[in-house]
Amino acid sequence: MSKTLMRFTGVGGQGVLLAGEIFAAAKIATGGEGLKTATYTSQVRGGPTVVDIQLDDQEIYYPYANDGEIGFMLSVANVSYNSFKDGVQPGGIIVVDPNLVHPTDEDRKMWKIFEIPIITIAKEEVGNVITQSVVALAIANTMMNAVDKKTLVDTMLSKVPAKVHAANLKAYDLGEKYAKEAMAKAV
Amino acid sequence: MADTREVISSGNHLAALAGADAGCRFMAGYPITPSSEVIEQMSDLLPKRGGSCIQMEDEIAAVAAAIGAGMAGHRTMTATSGPGISLKAENLGLAQMCEVPLVVVNVMRGGPSTGLPTRVSQGDVRQAKNPSHGDYRSITLCAGNLAECYTETVRAFNLADRFMQPVFVLLDETIGHMHGKAIIPTPEAVTAGVVPRKQFTGAPEDYHPYECESDQPAVLNKMFEGYRYHFTGLHHDKNGFPTEEIETCRKLIQRLEDKVMLHTDELELNEEFMLDDMTGEEGEVLIIAYGSVSLSAKEAIRHLRAAGIKAGLFRPLTLWPSPEKSIKKYTDLIKNVLCVELNIRQYTEEVERVSSRLDIEGLFKVNGRPISPYEIVSKVKEVF
Repeated sequence: MSKTLMRFTGVGGQGVLLAGEIFAAAKIATGGEGLKTATYTSQVRGGPTVVDIQLDDQEIYYPYANDGEIGFMLSVANVSYNSFKDGVQPGGIIVVDPNLVHPTDEDRKMWKIFEIPIITIAKEEVGNVITQSVVALAIANTMMNAVDKKTLVDTMLSKVPAKVHAANLKAYDLGEKYAKEAMAKAV
Repeated sequence: MADTREVISSGNHLAALAGADAGCRFMAGYPITPSSEVIEQMSDLLPKRGGSCIQMEDEIAAVAAAIGAGMAGHRTMTATSGPGISLKAENLGLAQMCEVPLVVVNVMRGGPSTGLPTRVSQGDVRQAKNPSHGDYRSITLCAGNLAECYTETVRAFNLADRFMQPVFVLLDETIGHMHGKAIIPTPEAVTAGVVPRKQFTGAPEDYHPYECESDQPAVLNKMFEGYRYHFTGLHHDKNGFPTEEIETCRKLIQRLEDKVMLHTDELELNEEFMLDDMTGEEGEVLIIAYGSVSLSAKEAIRHLRAAGIKAGLFRPLTLWPSPEKSIKKYTDLIKNVLCVELNIRQYTEEVERVSSRLDIEGLFKVNGRPISPYEIVSKVKEVF
């Protein structure tokens, strides 16, 4: 596998940073290179936040994803979606929470847009809104096949407290299920 | 046993770990974006190693407390960003004058004033050279990747004790916050490289801390061990007491200059990236960059080389004093020179000075956003 560029966007406080760290650590655990950078505004809670994740087999120099090269973006806030969508390459995958993000018809022609209610899944099916970052992690990896699943799940578990392991495993499974369903429906 | 280890961390956390591994046992700071993770991490590390970490009431108190620990004989540090350096400037001058070793980590953000708190910049390069008034020589190091956030902070502690003065470590928001893999020395390897500051071991009545060779730093013994002396920001005599005696005043300030400038060989450290095949022929491109911008430059060089343009990077890790001879060597050899900085000409002017060339091209950005590899590639194709 060569280079994978992913972008997670939301608003400050939603926890999109953690998913990036998990991806980078899992890639490094498999012997590759992984790097996470985050950009946020001085309005820490509520401001648009973007996390760029680069996974590569060779040394990564420039730590940000170059606009136009991103293969996958996930967004759970409309303000961030609008600010950062243009970084995604034409034909690339964008996953949005349809309750929060509203792509235009032009957007749907430009990119493969999937609508998965990430926040609702975390809040109602897992029962803990914090697990949305793990739902997002599972969706991203299922669609991009970026890192070996077992390594990714083990890395995720190593970064969350033991008492929420079960909830996060459930979140991962749900994310995977919804991603597979969304992809099946699109074909 | 291998003397390196692999860690997954951020630049700010690596700077903190470096301090703890290098023997720093006191940190005082005041949280400021984008440096706050340095003190946050130290507040965890230092108590576990028998040290102390304190959040002071403001930036000025933070550097004052850190200088106090340095005066007492400890390895000590503070961390901040540009607005914090502005506030600390007066006390940094005191540390220069009294010759107190101290490491100051500055994670640069957009300025002037409070600027762009969460955004990247290299706007403090000129400030680091002379944060306070008067004549002295700043020692300023600059990390250009994750591992160097560790190794340059370790180097800063050793240089602070060797030269007996504050040493700056410049990170920037990108380097400080990026998170990934770094190969760094083991704590044992770091400990093995520590040279403690010089101590006078003769009779206390024969001890004169500021009576030293004309190109050497003061010898400040640890406090509370029977060696008595005085600290002042005024010009001072061999025991640290104020004086206006003409020759003593001249010698003191000349020594602050010479202790650094006559020993720049101990300070210089550069990376030469894809420069070994440069011959001076037409069309070769020299890029000069430092800090996070050098990461962008390296990727740009990959693209330029793939397109048949022979480009290479010269990257100083010690920004001040600047590596005059090395810059001169490469700017004499290579005609096309491009300086890339997240400020306006702050280091380019130094390159112009030491190269005696006024045809140095520049690519500058000051809106808080990083310079992408493609912008560098485009600039090279446009101007050369």
